[in-house]
Amino acid sequence: MNGPPLRVLLVEDEALILMQLEALVEDAGHVVVGTAMRRDEAIGLAQALHPDLALVDLSLCEGGSGLDVAQTLRGMAGTMVVFVTANPMRLDDDLGGAAGVIAKPFTRAVVAGGMLYLEECLRRPPPVSLLPRGMRMAPEFRAS
Amino acid sequence: MEPADAWHLTDRLNAEHGKGDPFAAAIRATRMAMIITNPREPDNPIVFVNDAFLRLTGYAREEIMGTNCRFLQGPDTDRGAVRQVREAIEEVRDIGIDLLNYRKDGTPFWNALYLSPVINETGELLFYFASQLDVTDRVEGNLRVLEEKERVEREVAKRTRDLTEALAAKTMLVHEVDHRVKNNLQMIASLLTMQTRTIADPAARATMTSMLNRVEALGTVHRRLYQSRDVERFDVAAFAQDLADDIVRGSGRTDVRLHLDLEAVEVPVEKAPPVALMLNELITNALKHGFARERGGVLTVSVRPDGNYVAIRVADDGHGMPENATGVGSFGKRLIENLSRQLAASIAWHPANPGTRVELRIPVGSAPKEPRS
Repeated sequence: MNGPPLRVLLVEDEALILMQLEALVEDAGHVVVGTAMRRDEAIGLAQALHPDLALVDLSLCEGGSGLDVAQTLRGMAGTMVVFVTANPMRLDDDLGGAAGVIAKPFTRAVVAGGMLYLEECLRRPPPVSLLPRGMRMAPEFRAS
Repeated sequence: MEPADAWHLTDRLNAEHGKGDPFAAAIRATRMAMIITNPREPDNPIVFVNDAFLRLTGYAREEIMGTNCRFLQGPDTDRGAVRQVREAIEEVRDIGIDLLNYRKDGTPFWNALYLSPVINETGELLFYFASQLDVTDRVEGNLRVLEEKERVEREVAKRTRDLTEALAAKTMLVHEVDHRVKNNLQMIASLLTMQTRTIADPAARATMTSMLNRVEALGTVHRRLYQSRDVERFDVAAFAQDLADDIVRGSGRTDVRLHLDLEAVEVPVEKAPPVALMLNELITNALKHGFARERGGVLTVSVRPDGNYVAIRVADDGHGMPENATGVGSFGKRLIENLSRQLAASIAWHPANPGTRVELRIPVGSAPKEPRS
């Protein structure tokens, strides 16, 4: 990995999946700066921490929507949003304002490959590694 | 009863049709109700009425002679139909029309009225001749058929609506169940991932990782099923692409190049999990044994339709599969054997020189037609 690790915010309401994502993101050499299970918590943390990347579950605790989080974070410079969802088909081609989407159930390889791809997008675009097949990116982040 | 001299009331007809005229006698005696009106007198009054008309309407002859026949109309008579009759009279032409008429006692009947002008040789309008036929049974039968048809159509529409709603509810339920299955598989993978990270012993860790790979393969099956939007069929080739990419990527083996030879081939959805586990074992074994001891090379995964079979080939150009790797007793070997039995598949290991080529043939079969209990 070239350059400093990505500072990552995780937004996921399932405790086990949150823990696994935390482990996988750290295994990929990045730093989890915060975790949130609820919409307001996620927005508050994002505004306080200004992470490089937020991995956001589309359906959050207490009926909160990850789409709201994405809308808010889109207005913040320097934070890329990637959805992690069991319903990637519900998103249209612009992915609800997110840069990408990782489909659940994800594998370790998809998260590892996805983190590499996202790091390239953020630190040294354009990305050169292959996008894992369990992941989709918005048009502007696709490798040429 | 009508008076005995009632026939005198029709004497005026004798002016042109003598009493002995057989046609006049026939009209008097026929079972078809008939009247004649005189448009040359004010309000076009009835000047002749036969017995059948009196029987049909319940009136006595002296009650209606000299009156306009609008007394047959009642509260539910169609005004539009009456207007058509009036227009025919005004235009001196004939008309046949069904009218709802009323008897003297107020009971309604459907009257198939036929009315025509009677004109003499000089073109002068003399009379209107009208016959009345009680067609209540036919009209009401038609109305009943119409009502029944509308009722059936309403029933069908309601049933269709109910079924559409039931189908939507069922689809939602399937999606919800599907969502939970995927979530649970993800949680199992999460547990295994985190537990594996805490294990120091390399052998135990490798075993846990194998289990995690199998769970992830099943997770990928469900992800693909959901994305394909087809809940009945499963494309083995598309799955193999995801799985092979995932396994090679996950192994971190940059010295192993993946060669995919794929053509779409579908199996019924019930076969997806065993097929997925088989593929997972074969590809994992090829990586583990074929490319052991840091030997790189090309891993080939081919999935193609072959008649009623799915033909799968997994080959390495490395060390190949040592005999003991497929020996009796290993868990992976037993898994492959029993999954083959379940799928009625044939499997064979061939030396590829270098490497090993595994050929697997799975009958496609068809989805069960009847719902499973």
